Amino acid sequence: MEAHTPVIGGDRPALERSPLARLPDRLLKWGLFGVSAAVLILIVYFFIRLIGQSTLAFNRFGLFGFAFHNRWIPSRLIFGAAAMLFGTAVTSAIALIIGVPIAVATALYLTQLCPRRLRGPLTILVDLLAAVPSVVYGLWGVFVLIPKLKPAEQWFANTFSFIPWVGGHVAGPSVFIAGLILAIMILPIVSAISREVISTVPAEHKEAALALGATRWEMIKIAVLPYSRPGITGGAMLGLGRALGETIAVVLVIGDDPAIPHSIFGQGYSLAAVIANEFGEGSNIPLYRSALLACGLVLFVLTLFVNGFARGYVLRGERKMFDGARHRLGGVDEPEIEPAMGA
Amino acid sequence: MFRSRISALLATAAVAAGLAACGSSSSTTSSSTKSNTKVTSATINGAGSTLAAPIYTQWGSNLKSQGLTVNYSAVGSGTGIADLESGTVDFAGSDPPLAAADITTLDKKGSPVQFPMAFGAITVSYNLPGVKTGLKLSGKVIGDIFDGAVTKWNSPEITGLNPGVNLPATTITVVHRSDSSGTTAGFTALVAAYNPTFAKKVDTGKLVQWPSGEVGAAKNAGVAAAIKQTAGAVGYVEQAYALQNGFTYAAVENTAGKFILPTIQNTSAAAVGLKVPANLGLVAINSPNPAAYPIVSQTFIDTYKDPCKAGSSSSAAKGVHDFLNYALTTGESELGPGSNQLPYAPLPANLIAKDKAQLATLTCNGAPLS
Amino acid sequence: MTELPRISAGRRRKDRIMRGLLAAATGVALVPLVLVIYYLIYKGAGQWSGQFFTSDPNGNFLGYPGGIRSAILGTIEIVALATLISVPLGIAVALYLVEYGKKSLFANVVRYFVDVMTGVPSIVFGLFIYIVLVVAHVGGNFTAWKGSVAISLLMLPIVARSAEVVLNLVPGSLREAALALGAPRWRVVTRVVLPTAASGLVTGSLLAIARGAGETAPLLFTLGTANGLTFNLSQQMNTLPTQIFSDITSPRNAIVARAWGAALTLVVLVLILNLIARAAQRRSRLA
Repeated sequence: MEAHTPVIGGDRPALERSPLARLPDRLLKWGLFGVSAAVLILIVYFFIRLIGQSTLAFNRFGLFGFAFHNRWIPSRLIFGAAAMLFGTAVTSAIALIIGVPIAVATALYLTQLCPRRLRGPLTILVDLLAAVPSVVYGLWGVFVLIPKLKPAEQWFANTFSFIPWVGGHVAGPSVFIAGLILAIMILPIVSAISREVISTVPAEHKEAALALGATRWEMIKIAVLPYSRPGITGGAMLGLGRALGETIAVVLVIGDDPAIPHSIFGQGYSLAAVIANEFGEGSNIPLYRSALLACGLVLFVLTLFVNGFARGYVLRGERKMFDGARHRLGGVDEPEIEPAMGA
Repeated sequence: MFRSRISALLATAAVAAGLAACGSSSSTTSSSTKSNTKVTSATINGAGSTLAAPIYTQWGSNLKSQGLTVNYSAVGSGTGIADLESGTVDFAGSDPPLAAADITTLDKKGSPVQFPMAFGAITVSYNLPGVKTGLKLSGKVIGDIFDGAVTKWNSPEITGLNPGVNLPATTITVVHRSDSSGTTAGFTALVAAYNPTFAKKVDTGKLVQWPSGEVGAAKNAGVAAAIKQTAGAVGYVEQAYALQNGFTYAAVENTAGKFILPTIQNTSAAAVGLKVPANLGLVAINSPNPAAYPIVSQTFIDTYKDPCKAGSSSSAAKGVHDFLNYALTTGESELGPGSNQLPYAPLPANLIAKDKAQLATLTCNGAPLS
Repeated sequence: MTELPRISAGRRRKDRIMRGLLAAATGVALVPLVLVIYYLIYKGAGQWSGQFFTSDPNGNFLGYPGGIRSAILGTIEIVALATLISVPLGIAVALYLVEYGKKSLFANVVRYFVDVMTGVPSIVFGLFIYIVLVVAHVGGNFTAWKGSVAISLLMLPIVARSAEVVLNLVPGSLREAALALGAPRWRVVTRVVLPTAASGLVTGSLLAIARGAGETAPLLFTLGTANGLTFNLSQQMNTLPTQIFSDITSPRNAIVARAWGAALTLVVLVLILNLIARAAQRRSRLA
């Protein structure tokens, strides 16, 4: 039997809205689309502008010449950014080496071992590290960290001077201090992501390990860590991305020396720091400005790579773990969990 | 939920309004001279020399109560000129006189003019507990220290000049400017005149190629801070910063072979008998006057003969004119050796006269500003 | 019945050592936080006084260097403008992605680019605004509103990402129920989706504001400097981060002390924003 729909205005079914009433819907949809498209266009324009301004330097020195030549002499308009790349790489490496193990250990402790009452407050405290602005870390680094660590650094440099990259006179500001402050700054990010990833470990895996007689630490080693490794790696890479781009705290403690230091306690430079320091006077000399913007472009591309890699790695790793787990556990239905990457 | 958020916003707004309402405007403390020059109500923006920054910010602070707001960014002479060239400031502070290349670039906007404002001694300050002010250093030895040839305080080069002084075996930490600096230009100009190896290795200018292993810091203030924080450090900072922080500094050998301390008197001596070119671009480094401290730097305020045509608003152009007028009348009297004066050597009378004559030629779109 | 095998002493020792290490690592992670807060209070709290908050930095070379009034008010004004720009735009982008774009190619591209934006170092944003707005003399030279634009570029992706997550949490059943009752799409969005997600959106925005308030690098080449108080957004303005940054490199003890006081003020401001964000999160109607 055909349903008899009431009709309004001759043609239109009563329940269907008039074209005029559909207008706000259209406006909303296309308005939001317009905003999203505008944001997209802005980012593309931004990229194009940056590349456009950098071509002068790249043409003059060549892509590899600019990136790997260690001569930064603004007074003679010679720009090779190897020292800045080196500084960025070394400070980020130090940040990762120091920061990631501690962050992961913190995440493990807070999720697996911590007494329930302490978990909330301690988690908030670790996350508070991310709330401190970078300029405050710089202030603290200059007036607290550098003077307090100098005697220890000098002792270390003297005692272990046979190790390459260690030894010599410790002046204060150094690549090492910059790396240390970066480690502190990436710790909350890596810890938060690690905590999220670790908390997605299925309880069955942990219980199975414990049921087989493992100690708490062995359970962590067998059940938690392998499962979370891709996610933690992704988190570490996001931390790396943050460390690469950090400007203010680094420029205050790194010593501003456009050369490759002989030891980790020597002064250096980083891509972000050179821009912050020299953009004022370089802004009006086309080649100088182009060189600094080229540093910005290199930095941008680096962070793009690292962040993109982190996302891809984590997603791929998660899928592999799921497939593997399903295979091993004989086809048990695992719910599809979206890896939630925090901001 | 929304209601509590709105009330929180209102509370913040109320607090902000309260903060703005109460509290007096900044009062001058160190300078009690009342300005008797009338100034226009305007806001002018300047940038440049950190050597002269204490002067301009002090003058700006004095003028704020009369309605003229002077925003001066101490970013170094190089950046100041760059900002003037790109038109983002109304005036620049520069220690070195305008170079030919700068004049060519500035000519595109209008004819640049430079006003010498003051003289400041560049001290060689060191942080050596136990060693007092007055360590004798010659240009050659300073060059060897700063290019890395001399590495310890008790090297024979230094002890040779200072037989009675007990110098420790500390390693020397050299601090230099990492930004484009007129102070660097003045300092390297002097050292290169006495040390050819330094001249070849490091060169002279606002931005030079320092050897690695030295500490770089931005601005005079940054170098002063670095010297203060590092025992065994040596660096070049303007007199005002050295006095402000109680630094110990060297007595430098001048052209007459005498070791001179950077007092205001010895700084003023460098201003006597200077050759003044037509565009007022004088240089006071390595003065031939036997009583003069050798590392004395001049400092200029640079702007355009017609700031309006160059891009400034007419109120800003009038503001620049009134600022310079204040500087040349009341401002200069605030510089000197007195306890509540800024430690710079003021301009001698003939230079003030030349500046005033140049100031009278400033116009705004053709109409005179005076 | 056999006894359960006992865990060997070696394994038990290892377990205890590793657990101790993990706890110690957590302690180590908290040491910098404790030290930062301690020194902020130790060196900064003494600076707090009526005069500190009601006087501007005066640029006097000798004597009292002034307080931070213009810096606080400048930060509030600049961040407020940046919020006005970035929060509506960010939520709009997120709304599009959740309600209309979903898994389409365009939406995925937008998502990817927004992610790209989060990774851009903040100083590069400042450079971009410098080239596009300052050097081109668009509406003045160094002005406060250009600093706001640079900061809003920084805040936009944070707001958009967190808003997208929150909007996704709104149950589809709510939307469907409203649609089934005959509500037009725009009504569903404004009357059902947005109110449900409101506290989550507020949380995300507050966290973005807290981040924006503490940023220095985007302001370096866009704001210029100013000591005195001004409310005029087309003039150069003072802010807390730039004031602290320039004070750090001063050799004067009084100015460094002012930097500590200003840093403590900034951290308190950011902490308050974070705490409000957390409180809003807890009162969320969503899981």
